[in-house]
Amino acid sequence: MIRPPFAILKLPLLMLLTALLLATGGILWGQRQAHNAEAALQQQNTALNQARQQLDRSRQQQRLLTTHLGDYQTLVARGFVGTEDRLAWIEAVQLANRDAGLYGLGYRLMPRTASPSSLAQGLPLGQTRMTLTFPLLVETDLVRFLDALKTRASGVYHVQGCRLSRPDNTPFEAANHPHLQAECDLLWFTVATTTEARHE
Amino acid sequence: MIMFDHRLLLFATPRQIGVLDWRPGHMHWLGEFSADAEGLAAFRKIVIRHAHLPVLLVADTVDEDYRSEVLPHVQGRARDELLARKLKQVFRNTRFTGAWRQARETTGRRDDRYLLAALPDAEWLTPWLSVLHREHVPLAGITPLALAYQHLLEKLREQSAHTLLACRLNNSLRLSYYHNGLLRFSRLIGGDTPAQLPGNAADEIAKTQLYLSGQRILPREARLHVLLLDPSGQLDSAQAQLNADPAFSTRLIDMSSLARALRIPDDFLAATPEVAPLAAIAGETLKLNLAPPELLQHHIEFRWRRGLHAAAGIVAVLGLGLTAAYWLHARDLDDQARQLAQQYQQFDARYQAIARTFPTQLMAPEQLVQTVNLARQLGQAQTDVTALFSAIGQSLLATPDVALDSLGWTDESPAANGGIQVNLDAGLSPFDGNYRAAMRRIEEFMRTLQAMPGVYNVTLRSSPVNADSSSTLSGKTLNPDAASAPAARFSLNLLFREARP
Repeated sequence: MIRPPFAILKLPLLMLLTALLLATGGILWGQRQAHNAEAALQQQNTALNQARQQLDRSRQQQRLLTTHLGDYQTLVARGFVGTEDRLAWIEAVQLANRDAGLYGLGYRLMPRTASPSSLAQGLPLGQTRMTLTFPLLVETDLVRFLDALKTRASGVYHVQGCRLSRPDNTPFEAANHPHLQAECDLLWFTVATTTEARHE
Repeated sequence: MIMFDHRLLLFATPRQIGVLDWRPGHMHWLGEFSADAEGLAAFRKIVIRHAHLPVLLVADTVDEDYRSEVLPHVQGRARDELLARKLKQVFRNTRFTGAWRQARETTGRRDDRYLLAALPDAEWLTPWLSVLHREHVPLAGITPLALAYQHLLEKLREQSAHTLLACRLNNSLRLSYYHNGLLRFSRLIGGDTPAQLPGNAADEIAKTQLYLSGQRILPREARLHVLLLDPSGQLDSAQAQLNADPAFSTRLIDMSSLARALRIPDDFLAATPEVAPLAAIAGETLKLNLAPPELLQHHIEFRWRRGLHAAAGIVAVLGLGLTAAYWLHARDLDDQARQLAQQYQQFDARYQAIARTFPTQLMAPEQLVQTVNLARQLGQAQTDVTALFSAIGQSLLATPDVALDSLGWTDESPAANGGIQVNLDAGLSPFDGNYRAAMRRIEEFMRTLQAMPGVYNVTLRSSPVNADSSSTLSGKTLNPDAASAPAARFSLNLLFREARP
C-alpha cells in the first residue's frame, strides 16, 4: 500500500475541504430556505383556512341576521334588550289593572339579579322580581288581570306565582266589594348589551 | 473517468521517440525526436508544454524478455512479495521488469498464470526518462509494444487461439505470439540500429513457430494463425509462402480496415503508422507495467491530485445541485404561499364586504339569534291560570261542603315544563266534629281533584286533626244540629301541569 503524498497534496486537500465546506454550507442554507418557506406556506395555509372559515361564518351570520334581525329589533323596542324600563313595567301593570276593572294595586320591584345559567344559556340575562298586591272581587278577576297584562306588557316577563286569599275570612256576599286579596310575583327579564354587561 | 482521460503516448525505440497527444476521439501526432542532443531538447520542449498530462511509454526494442510462470494463488502483500522475488530471480538486476496475472488455472491447485517481462538492456531509455523526471511529468507506465498490439488484435476482433502477429514498423519486423488473445511471447527482428531486414519474413515466422513449439509455448499440433501487418506492403509476398504450409493460416491486414478498427483517419494512419499500436492501447488499463516504482511517483501524485480534484468537483457539483434543488423547492413553496396569500386577501375582502353590512353596535349574530329564541321561549312559558282555576273550580262544585280559604301557585322555572306547584287551603262546612267523616270527605275531595285533567300528586299537607301518638289531642264532640261547629281546616299540595305546545 503506497501512502498518499500528503506534503504535495495540501492544495487539492484544501480545495476538497473548501468544496466540502461550501457544499455543506450551501446545503444547510438551502435547507433553511426550504424549511422557512415550508413554515411560511404552512402559516399561510392556516391563515387561509381561518379566512375561509371566517367567510363561511360571516355568510352564515349574514343569513342569521337576515332571518332574525327584525325580531331582535322588536325585542330591543320592547325593552327586552338593553337597560331596564321599570316605568314601562309599572305602567303596564297599572293599565292591565285598569283594563280588568280592578281596584288598584300595590307593587314592589326588587333589584335586578342574574338569571340562573340554565335559563340564561350563556346570555347576560337578568331578572327583576316585581311583587304585585291587589284586591279582587272574584277569582276570575285574576285571570282577567293576567290576560290584560299580556296585552299591555311590552317586555318579557314570567308570572312566577300568585296567591289568592281572603284576609278577613268573611263569607261570600253579593256586594260589589272586593274581599279577595291577590299577591303575584312577576319576573321581568332583560338581556344586557355588551356595554352594559361590561359595566356590571 | 475515461471522458477526462487525456494523455501523452510515447513510442520509444533506441533510435528515436514519437509523441502522440491523445484524448478519447481525438489524437494529434506531435512528432518524432531522434536520440541525440537536438532531439532531446525538442522532446523536452514538447514535454514541458504537456507536463500536466500523464504519459505512457511504449517501448519497442530487441532487448526484451518474456517468461510464462505458474505461481501459487495468493493475494495482497503476499502476491507483491512473491512477484518481486520471482522477478528478481528470473531477471536478476534488470531495472525494468513487470508481471501480469493473465489467468487462473482451472485444475489442480488453481494456480495463477503470469507473464513476466523485462527490458534487460534499456539504458537507451534513460535520457528520455530523465527529461520526464526533471519536468515532473506523471509517468503512468512503461509497457512493451507487444502488449499494445494485443489491444490492436482486440480492436480487430481476432479470436483465434494461436495468433502470431507479424508487424513491420520502422524497418523492423516484430513477431508476437498471443494465446487466446493474451500475449505470451514477442521478438523484434531487425535490430535497434538501422539495418537491413532479413529478406524472407516467412522464414522468420517459421523459425519463430519452431521456437515456440520447442519452448512448449505453442502446442505442436496447433495451427498458427498469422496476421500480417505492414504499411509498406513488403510482407505481402510472405502470405503465399505461408499459405502453402498447412501449419499456418494467414490474414493480411490492410490499412483501411485497421484505420476503421481504430477509428482514425486513413491518411493519418498512412502518414504515421506508429500511432496504430498507440491508439490501440491509449484508452486501455495498463496490464503490464515495466516501470520501477520510483519512476511512477509523479504519476501517483498526479492520480491523488486528480482524484482529490475530482472529489472536490463532485462535492462542489453535488453541493451546488442540492443547494439549487433546495432553493428551487423554497421558491416553489414561496410561489404557493404567494398564491395562498392572494386567496387569503380575496377571502378577507369578501369577509370585509359582508362584515360591513352587519349593523354596528350589535351583539354577535349567534347571540342575537339566541336572544330571540330565549325571548320566544320565555314568552311561551306563561301559566294557563284559567285551566288551573277551571280544574279546581269543578272539583269544588263537585264537593260543595268544601270551602276554599286560599289558593296559591308557584312556577319556579319558566323554561322547563315541569308543572306548577299549587297550594290549597280549605275548610269543611258544615263540620260536626266527626273527624273520621271529615277525613273521608277530604279524601273524596282529593280524589275529585286528582281526576281533573292536568292535576297530579295531590297530597294532604295538613289535616284537620293530628292523631299522631306523639302529640296531645283534645276536643269535644257535638250534636249534628249544633249551631256553631269549629271548622275542619286542611291544606293540600298538588302539581298542575298544563299541556304546553
